[in-house]
Amino acid sequence: MSDQLSRRNLLKLLGAGVGLAVAGPTLAACAPSGSTESSGGLSDDGVKQFPFTTWAANEAVTKEPLAALISRYTGANGGTTIQTPSYPYNDYLNQLLLQVQGGQLKGAMQLDVAWLATLAATGKLADLGSVAAGQDYTDAALALGRVDGKQVGLPWTQAGIGLIGNQEILTRAGVSAPPRTVEEFEAALRAVKGLGGGIVPYAAMTKVDQLKDIIAWMWTFGSPVVDSGRIVVDDEGSVAALTWYKKLYDEKLIAADVNRVDARALMSQGKAAFYEDAISGRAAVTKSSTDSALGDKLRPLARPVRAAGDKPRHLAWGHVIAVVNAEGGAAAAQFAKTLTTDPAYSTEWFAKAGLPPTTRAGLAASDVQQNAFAAAFSREIAANSSAGPFWIHPQFSQMEKVLAEKVQAALIGRSSPKEALTEAREQMSALIK
Amino acid sequence: MTTPTAPARRGLSDGAFGLLLTLPALALFGAVVLYPLIGALTTSVFAQSLVVPGRTFVGLDNFRAVLDGEFWSIMRNTIVYTIGSTVAPVVVGFALALALNSRIRGRSVLRGLFLFPWVIPGVVVSFVWLWIFNANYGLLNGILVGLGVVDDPITWLGDPGTAMAAIIIAKTWASFPWIMVMLLAGLQTIPATLTEAASLDGAGPVARFRHVTLPHLRGILGIVVLLEVIWNLQHFDMIYVLTGGGPAGSTTTFAVAVYDTAFKGFDLGKASALGALWLVLIMALVVVYVRISERGEQA
Amino acid sequence: MTAAPPDATSTAPEAAPAPRRRRGRPPSWGAIVTVAVLGVFAFGPVYWVAVTAFTPTADVFRFPPRLFPERLTVENFSTLWDNPVLLRYLANSLIVSTLTALLTVVVSAYTAYSFAKFRYRGRRSLMYLVLASQMFPQALLLITLYLVFSQVGLLNSYLALILSFTTFTLPLCIWMLKGFFDTIPDELIEAAKVDGAGQGAIIHRILLPVSLPGLVATGLFAFIRGWNDFIFALTLAGPEKQTLPPGLVNTFLGEVETAWPALMAASLVVSLPVVIGFAVLQRYLVAGLTAGAVKG
Repeated sequence: MSDQLSRRNLLKLLGAGVGLAVAGPTLAACAPSGSTESSGGLSDDGVKQFPFTTWAANEAVTKEPLAALISRYTGANGGTTIQTPSYPYNDYLNQLLLQVQGGQLKGAMQLDVAWLATLAATGKLADLGSVAAGQDYTDAALALGRVDGKQVGLPWTQAGIGLIGNQEILTRAGVSAPPRTVEEFEAALRAVKGLGGGIVPYAAMTKVDQLKDIIAWMWTFGSPVVDSGRIVVDDEGSVAALTWYKKLYDEKLIAADVNRVDARALMSQGKAAFYEDAISGRAAVTKSSTDSALGDKLRPLARPVRAAGDKPRHLAWGHVIAVVNAEGGAAAAQFAKTLTTDPAYSTEWFAKAGLPPTTRAGLAASDVQQNAFAAAFSREIAANSSAGPFWIHPQFSQMEKVLAEKVQAALIGRSSPKEALTEAREQMSALIK
Repeated sequence: MTTPTAPARRGLSDGAFGLLLTLPALALFGAVVLYPLIGALTTSVFAQSLVVPGRTFVGLDNFRAVLDGEFWSIMRNTIVYTIGSTVAPVVVGFALALALNSRIRGRSVLRGLFLFPWVIPGVVVSFVWLWIFNANYGLLNGILVGLGVVDDPITWLGDPGTAMAAIIIAKTWASFPWIMVMLLAGLQTIPATLTEAASLDGAGPVARFRHVTLPHLRGILGIVVLLEVIWNLQHFDMIYVLTGGGPAGSTTTFAVAVYDTAFKGFDLGKASALGALWLVLIMALVVVYVRISERGEQA
Repeated sequence: MTAAPPDATSTAPEAAPAPRRRRGRPPSWGAIVTVAVLGVFAFGPVYWVAVTAFTPTADVFRFPPRLFPERLTVENFSTLWDNPVLLRYLANSLIVSTLTALLTVVVSAYTAYSFAKFRYRGRRSLMYLVLASQMFPQALLLITLYLVFSQVGLLNSYLALILSFTTFTLPLCIWMLKGFFDTIPDELIEAAKVDGAGQGAIIHRILLPVSLPGLVATGLFAFIRGWNDFIFALTLAGPEKQTLPPGLVNTFLGEVETAWPALMAASLVVSLPVVIGFAVLQRYLVAGLTAGAVKG
């Protein structure tokens, strides 16, 4: 057989394949057919069996407390059964979206606040406005569950990503008061650097996966990041923020190759004076430390501002519970409401899992108030946190990654901050064109 | 090489029987690869999202968008990565196969032990290497600083100059065992008489390797290299865990870009266009390979 | 893998003809140095996994890292008992990987035999099509595959995993076995035909036994493909049928939690039986084609 012939056959086969493609069913076949009007209200269909998709069912800290809450709920509501399917946090959103495409997703689900708009864009989430009405959620928390004015999520816990300092190291470095301005912060970092011993003054994010944290600094330096729908990550404030960040990088006040896990590891070893994390990160830090008193040395701090008197800015962080508009939806919504508003549930969740409640009554509960770390975190960080500027776009995560890569390019000196951010703006804008 | 050409008619001709033998494999390919592949190729001319239902025909827009992007730097990264993580494990695997095929003490135990890197679940392997290469508390820096080789920790994964090399080393670690197994199996098929005859003719180890071992293993070696190339071209998880494609996109290979577009941007149209372009490029490679190998076969 | 009992093969080297014996040259220094150097590369990280598994959580991130830890603990292994679900993941992994290996060896042996010893129109095209099918990014295949399995009701089943893994391993196994079958002299098959053997007998009595090392090697490979896969297992298997890689991640790597030592301990424990299994199986690799050919 000559190779002429064989290649022709190869092409023929491919051709046949393409022909099939035109005629055959494809991805389109799986687009939801006859989907009802999106995000309608829920009507009770009497079905009391539903899944609660949640990564909390897996994680060591939350696994048992969650199981206890669920069995309490099913005990109090006869006939209800709740399964808890679970996916690893990093793959969770993708798995959920695939399930929506396959028409498999039902019941209630835990979501990171950043993902809510993406999931809402599928048109499958129930409008929980009537469920949330009259409950005493805080306004800030409620806002995080809203997409396009519609309440598609009930807030379960809410805080922010904030600066946490190791008081002992700071005292050793002679930093007595928490730094209020960027200048004071920088001075504090230099003082820590002066201690030597390989301490990273500020374990800021420098790896692609979490570098989006720089958005909070862009805000701090006066950039709106997104201005009435337009991405402006290359405006004066953002460029100033990146220039400053690069200065810290070049002077080794922040370290290369750090993501959240690395930062926690450094904090746990007393090898970093500041880092940024959600409220739940403290447990991870103290657990892998030989210093049993480390927990008391960790202080949540308001992000330094550019000029004294400015309002500190933080990226929001939290979990919401959304409900799919499908069989068992009403029962799932009822469950979500109880889990998020009933003080018996939310205080226990705080006590066992360390995640603060989202209702006024819950926050006022003595447990929460007496926990110095949580109280300070709420006061200094959560109170001044706002939703990520790109979360409203389903493709926010790729946009944040583009930004991260360009910022990284500037940090390692491949391009100037201005060039990097202009490229970032162009590519990010192209993604949502 | 001659082939049995005179079929003994037993209901089926030899050729038809041969085709019949391939049916189970073809059925699997049709269902698991071809059908989804065709679906994805079709998607490349639509604007389609993993999130929002429905799609619209956009012609070649996706292809234009992809080619306007960082296609060429992605291609360069992919080529560097593929060559590196094919050559290195083949060299390591071949060396070990030869060594473990010689009379060495405890070779059966060693053959088993060297498979260890291969059976530790891949997700864990990536994290182990992440830790080894970590700039601030990693094992490698710990050793180098401890020995006084370097003063300051090296940011292996944070520097475009070293990140790709680090990934290739990690990938080599994970993939040399199967190459070793394949080549060991191949070495077993070399008739002892051949080696003996060469020895009697006075051939030294190097000559025996060149004139007996290598020609005999050529087929298997070719397959191993070809498959490594194909897999590396679309390898994804280790790169993703180690660098996520950074720093500054210097380790963003084609597979990373497709994943980001499909599972972070949820843009199935563009991801499919990227995949389709890629398929065309690789098909070209395969055609070249076919011609070369057929020429070899005819010779 | 099922072709011959261990006894038959383990005696094969002894039964080999005399010249084979005389191969016993003194071990070369080159071999020893190669094994030593590459041994450090291969086992260094394994050692680190083991050390970490025995390190108390509080000591894990100490810098500089301790190659010989000061404190040892088995607490990380006891957490395995706190997560009985890991046993289910392990069982799922073993079931899926073993069945994948068996199915792959059978299907690929037939196909490879066809490619190696038959000539028909389109053979070459088929061969390269099989290869080319591996080149499309799997992330994209996964999306459609999920929907296909969802439509035919195969989601959350072992079968979904086995079919996928088998298909993705086939190209390697087909090409690999074709390589082995090519080296089998046609005269062997011709002689069998003359003796009146049917095609079935030729495959099962001559071809497969003679190619045992190749079958074992491909079987191992297919096993590992099923053993190591993360994203397909995560997506297609559902919580009940989940295999180890997604199971381990799900259990130990969370939103805030990264339980390195427990993860390493678990990986070690689940890898050990496979390593032992392989160490045993690799005897089959030693059973030579030469021995088989001489006997056959």
